[in-house]
Amino acid sequence: MATGSATDNPVEYISHHLQPLSVGNGFWTFNLDTMFFSILIALSVMFVSYNVGKNITSSEPRGMQNILETLIEFVNNLVKEAFPKPNKIVGPLGLTIFLWVFLMNAMDLIPVDLLPKAADLMGIHYLKVVPTTDPHTTFALSLTVFALCIYYNIKIKGSFGYFKSFLVHPFGIYLAPINFILTLVEELAKPLSLALRLFGNMFTGELVFLLIALLPWYFIPVPGTLWAIFHILVITLQAFIFMVLAIMYISLASEESH
Amino acid sequence: MNVTATLFGQMITFIIFVWFIKQFLWEPLTSAMDERSKKIADGLASAELGKKKMEEAASEYEKTLKDAKNKASDVLNQAQQQSNTIVEDARAKAKIEANKILESANQQIEQESNIAKESLKKELSNLSLQCAEKIIGKEIDKKKHDEIIQKALKDL
Repeated sequence: MATGSATDNPVEYISHHLQPLSVGNGFWTFNLDTMFFSILIALSVMFVSYNVGKNITSSEPRGMQNILETLIEFVNNLVKEAFPKPNKIVGPLGLTIFLWVFLMNAMDLIPVDLLPKAADLMGIHYLKVVPTTDPHTTFALSLTVFALCIYYNIKIKGSFGYFKSFLVHPFGIYLAPINFILTLVEELAKPLSLALRLFGNMFTGELVFLLIALLPWYFIPVPGTLWAIFHILVITLQAFIFMVLAIMYISLASEESH
Repeated sequence: MNVTATLFGQMITFIIFVWFIKQFLWEPLTSAMDERSKKIADGLASAELGKKKMEEAASEYEKTLKDAKNKASDVLNQAQQQSNTIVEDARAKAKIEANKILESANQQIEQESNIAKESLKKELSNLSLQCAEKIIGKEIDKKKHDEIIQKALKDL
């Protein structure tokens, strides 16, 4: 696919770029590009953190350890504010979300045509580089958080207590059916909004990059640079928001009762 | 979006990822950080303790110095007093000795003068007796007249 043809047929160019590289049908559909890049990022983060974790110096931290310690301290402060009791899962969960989502989002900053073009040369004709523009990724994250929320709800309140909270919240027991519907919507809205917020932001961000790429080449640099700089803010903010909301949802779920 | 294997694949990746981070990064690093903050806190506490000890030592030193000074001045005072009393004693003793010597000298003088008086008296009595014998020319009853002369000499 040459750059010349992009401006000739913009709709095809954009939809081509947003088409994931998928294998299989129905349930057994694998978005290979999404999984490849997200797992690649996960593995590199794991590699770095394994090396840091193995060579910890408690007296004078340096390099990567320093960066990760700062991040851990930051996440730990958030967790300590949200949780009255210490929780062993939420800290690592928050840190993982932040690192993973941030790096997956950062794939956005690689020029939109670079990797697809390279893949095209290797005979792969569809490639979506940013895993967070695939709702599968964002929903995978938010549903895992949601599952943890349900787990903590049942663990703290008991299954009956959890069910009861659906009935008595927000209007008291006499309006139980309305309460049930409202609370159900409220609970379901959490993972949905979490996933869609990230997906929407990243998808539109990518779309704007594609639209900029459609401009004649001598117009591209200025809006491209501006949008990229702005996007650095967006990807960090989205990763941060996802992490904070995940921590907040789990902390709400593990409250005794309201 | 359909529910596909990709979703579950991503979920599994995420769960493994979280576990991995917890196991190999979060826990060792947080424990190292805790250890460090404990070490720092311990260091600060021991520094505080050392400072306190130093202050105590300084005040102790001050106190000891003061005590020593006091003791020294006491000793000096005592020595002064002692020397004063010794001098005083010596002076008193010397006075007494001198008095004694004076007294004994006086006594001796008196004694000697008494002896001289006595011998003079005897000489006088003898002389007067001889004079009287010569005048009278006869032997005088020495015993009888001795008594009279003695009496006279006593009145002398």
